[in-house]
Amino acid sequence: MNFMKKALNSKKLVTIVWILGLIVLWEIGASVIEHTKRSPENVLPHLYQILQSIVSRDLVNSSQTALQIVLSNAGITLFRAGIGFIIGIMIGFALALLMYLFLVVEKTVFPYLMMIQMIPILGMAPIVLAITKDIDKSRIVIAAILTFYPVATNTLAGFKAVEKEKHELMYSIAASKYQIYRKLLIPSCTPYFFTGLKISAPMAITASILVDTLQGGGGLGCMLSQSLKHAMSIYVFWQIVFISAIIGILSYYLMTVIEKVMSPYQRKGPKVKKEVSANEQAA
Amino acid sequence: MNKQRSKFNRQTVTTFLYPVLFGTFIAILWQTQLLHKIIGADTFTLPLPGRIFSIIHDNAADILINVKATVIVALGGLVLGSLFGYLLAIIATTFPKWGIGGLTIASAFHAIPIIAIAPILNNLTKDFSKDPNTRSMLAKMLVVMITCTVSMSINAYRGFTELKPYSLDLMKSYAASKTTIFFKLRIPNCVPYVFTALRVSVPGCVISALVSEYFAEYIIGVGRQIRENIVLAQYATAWAYIIVACAIGIIMYVILLITEGILLKGRR
Repeated sequence: MNFMKKALNSKKLVTIVWILGLIVLWEIGASVIEHTKRSPENVLPHLYQILQSIVSRDLVNSSQTALQIVLSNAGITLFRAGIGFIIGIMIGFALALLMYLFLVVEKTVFPYLMMIQMIPILGMAPIVLAITKDIDKSRIVIAAILTFYPVATNTLAGFKAVEKEKHELMYSIAASKYQIYRKLLIPSCTPYFFTGLKISAPMAITASILVDTLQGGGGLGCMLSQSLKHAMSIYVFWQIVFISAIIGILSYYLMTVIEKVMSPYQRKGPKVKKEVSANEQAA
Repeated sequence: MNKQRSKFNRQTVTTFLYPVLFGTFIAILWQTQLLHKIIGADTFTLPLPGRIFSIIHDNAADILINVKATVIVALGGLVLGSLFGYLLAIIATTFPKWGIGGLTIASAFHAIPIIAIAPILNNLTKDFSKDPNTRSMLAKMLVVMITCTVSMSINAYRGFTELKPYSLDLMKSYAASKTTIFFKLRIPNCVPYVFTALRVSVPGCVISALVSEYFAEYIIGVGRQIRENIVLAQYATAWAYIIVACAIGIIMYVILLITEGILLKGRR
């Protein structure tokens, strides 16, 4: 009985019920459309039909099944998004450091960082392609641009959030500049840094897929537009929709996991709380 | 006193001076084609600023039509999405146990690429109207709405629940009803949070409007024109539309900042 109550109250159950609700909603919509449209699979297929296409062995083009196509292209897209993402992180962090070290740099660059946020970079994707003339390069460039400004602004905020007293303490124990960075600034800015990463990871992937649609040469977006034009089974499109959604969400959680691994001191928070509440209960 | 004031002035002057100097520096590099040498482009793909502005001037009528289409989509989606998100937040506050789970799911939606949503909605809205312009407008608006809903619902929910300490206890000690608490305490408390959400979703709505235009059925809008002109290898015209797109984003953000300044006067 107690176990049941716990299970009913748990957060996971709430989430599962919500997911189930969404699935039911989808299926109702799919059934309605199945009876009203001539080609329902183009508009909203049943979920089991999509699942069927995932496990089916039928070849969609000359050599691959639908799932093989989707996965291999997802790999290509992810790889390019990843490179751009890492370059973006490095530029963003370096820029944040420079802005923190030199007031002139901050004053010069910060307004432009703010402006980049308002500029639709994704809209510029075709022109970047035209300048770099290489689809791979342009993917990386755009993913890097989209990554670097959240990282830069958030990391700068992290550097600035360090209390004055801590700086004074470091000064009073005659810490060298390197030590101040190593022991004080870098650790205290990691949460902010990871906030930037969490914002930019899904964006980098979106950018990479979008650039794919502009030109051939593989990648999820390329397959997506081909499938929409009925060059291959439409289920490839549905699989890509789900895969890209999953990748986007996973990229966010991956950043959360990396953050937890890299900054173990933060894990203490809830644990200490638990102990305190356990003590209270015991008392 | 006097000295301090002059120092303050110097600070503000440099705050404006440095970015302006940097901007002119880049513009000069661009106009003298040194920038082209640095990134290895030619004047065909990266036209000079003078030429871009002359194109904007010459095609003002055409550009205005497209700007209108994009702004309607972006603003319509923004309003719909923000209202819907606000509603979700209200529901989540009234039923906290189920609401939080729903918001978790909603935040997962935020990570889904726009590109995956846009074609689905295009297909779904095919029967909505005979006129391709109207129905693709609706599809685009729905895409923008989805992107705007999430940030509003999460931020508004925080605004409703992260109250000042003891304020809820105070209201309870007055024996205030739930409705009174909601209107007198929660709604005023969430106003700054609403603006936090808008700061995310205003640039976001322009971006998703542009991207959804890429996939729309009816060829209109600033984003679509960028793409179409590049397909036709008219890079100068495409650049003109890019400048216009940037201007839309910046103007909308500035309007937001001004409204925020007026509405939140004395709160910060």
